[in-house]
Amino acid sequence: MEQIRVEKTASRGIVVEKVYMYLEPDLTPATGTIADDQVQAEIEKFEAAKNAVVEELGQLAEKNEIFAAHLEIANDFMLQDGVESKIKDSKSNVEQAISNTIDEFAMIFASMDDEYMKERAADVRDIGKRMMAVVKGVKLPDLGVLTEPVVVMAKDMYPSDTVKINPALVKGIVTEEGGVTSHVSIIAKSLGIPTLVGVKGILSKVDDGEYICMDAGEGIIVVKPDEDTEKEYLDKKAAYEQERARLEGLRSTPAVTKDGKRIYLCANVGNVQDIRNALPMNIDGVGLFRSEFLYMQNTHFPTEEEQFVVYKEAAELASQELTIRTLDIGGDKELSYYEFEKEENPFLGWRAIRISLDMKDMFKEQLRAILRASAFGHVRIMFPMIIAMEELKNAKALVKECMKELDERGQAYDKNIEMGMMIETPASVMLADEFAKEADFFSIGTNDLTQYILVVDRGNKKIAKMYDYFNPAVVRAIKQVIEAGHKEGIKVGMCGEMAGDQKAVELLLDLGLDEFSMSAGSIDYVREQILNRE
Amino acid sequence: MVSQKVTVSNPTGIHARPAATLAKTAAPFKSSIILVAGEKRLQAKSVLNLMSAAIKCGTEITVECDGEDEAEALKTVVEAIESGLGE
Repeated sequence: MEQIRVEKTASRGIVVEKVYMYLEPDLTPATGTIADDQVQAEIEKFEAAKNAVVEELGQLAEKNEIFAAHLEIANDFMLQDGVESKIKDSKSNVEQAISNTIDEFAMIFASMDDEYMKERAADVRDIGKRMMAVVKGVKLPDLGVLTEPVVVMAKDMYPSDTVKINPALVKGIVTEEGGVTSHVSIIAKSLGIPTLVGVKGILSKVDDGEYICMDAGEGIIVVKPDEDTEKEYLDKKAAYEQERARLEGLRSTPAVTKDGKRIYLCANVGNVQDIRNALPMNIDGVGLFRSEFLYMQNTHFPTEEEQFVVYKEAAELASQELTIRTLDIGGDKELSYYEFEKEENPFLGWRAIRISLDMKDMFKEQLRAILRASAFGHVRIMFPMIIAMEELKNAKALVKECMKELDERGQAYDKNIEMGMMIETPASVMLADEFAKEADFFSIGTNDLTQYILVVDRGNKKIAKMYDYFNPAVVRAIKQVIEAGHKEGIKVGMCGEMAGDQKAVELLLDLGLDEFSMSAGSIDYVREQILNRE
Repeated sequence: MVSQKVTVSNPTGIHARPAATLAKTAAPFKSSIILVAGEKRLQAKSVLNLMSAAIKCGTEITVECDGEDEAEALKTVVEAIESGLGE
């Protein structure tokens, strides 16, 4: 028996099943060059292979749109030119020519900065494999022939593999390569198949037909389990599935406490895809859109137009509420294209609203983008790290300036857009009664608030135990903020880790919190706590 | 030769599926169709070429068409890009 720990979970769940080794036949290209009089024959071989693959993909494309793009690649004239010129000019045999051409294109994609484009290298290789198999006259492994439930183990899985996955038989997936954004991960998640990717060396540790236990959520694989372990995982699996079914059954119930208070359950997101992933949980909106990711995953300060496109889509998806936090950079978050001066205490330094108010033009690009998106949904602006009334007033004044500019351009926006603030500094807690008169809503950011109130660095392992949002000082601060907000009739939400902590729900409800915003994975659990609260 | 500027408007830029849509749109024309993005010159009929340029949303590109059906090609390709390439 051996236990393997894995860091990348692609899709959660627990499995105890037989292993099905999904390994490729040898597709190594033949060596050697060809004679001049073979050129035409080799080109014909390629064309025949291409036609066969195009036909095969054409059929697959009818079932799954991913293959429409593959079909275009297989048909691509640059791919054809590449293969034919290698046959004609370098006298490569057809297998070499296909292999080298595919490599060239796959490398272009693999070397890109963008994670998404990197993963596309697999698409190109997928097509190469198909062509190679036709040329060699071998069959590729086929998930379509499974007859019993299995855990599929593979080096990697391509879209042409995953399309054949029958979730009734494929109970789990483990791959040696691949990332959490790869096709196999996305498809496994959408089919609800427990999956671990990037498990180095796993293929040499198991044999076809052996049983394995896997807890994908915890990132554990047990190979050659003993009887007790197998039983333990079967019990865990039954409990997990029961729990999931029960929680999913609660999704259609609005989060109303037994004493009749409607609580808003929202998602914290970093991009539009996160919103799509959270929608099935029946969210009441997005309580925190972290706009900094737009800045961090870029090569320049994103323009108004670039931001607008993203915010607009987000606003349309999260139609009930989209709370966009303005740029929260500095502290531990840096930008590749902007050099921050080194600071003694970055968390006490030039960050968030302080940067935005110093770099007004940059800030206004963002504000105009948010305002324009507000014409497409219920958008709210949220300012981070406020410590003084002057900051809030200055930020709001800049929004007004931007509104005027949009009026001059004749562009639409929500004239009554709500402008609120994060409560994450001790100063904002102490002045909450004042701020409540000026802000349209509060959102308590417990991560920073806890570390600032307790003076405990949340990244320091030695004092990790002291970092505790149940510390009475933090709880009192939260109470004070909620009371101050309610006195002025504004909504008070929370978007820190605490909002997604099941153990905190009862306390926060008692304190009167109106909105809980958290990562999507916690929503089902918090909803249950709210519904059950006595 | 005819040409026109257009801004890529679909949110994810020209990645796999939009690239396939664009290549398919361009394929039936006899004219050569080139997208100029910065220093890159891309064959609109080649999905591999389009994808490998990873053109992001908001990028302004120039479409150049050259050949007997260039006017029609330009109009069709520009419209396809403006309408968001099926996204």
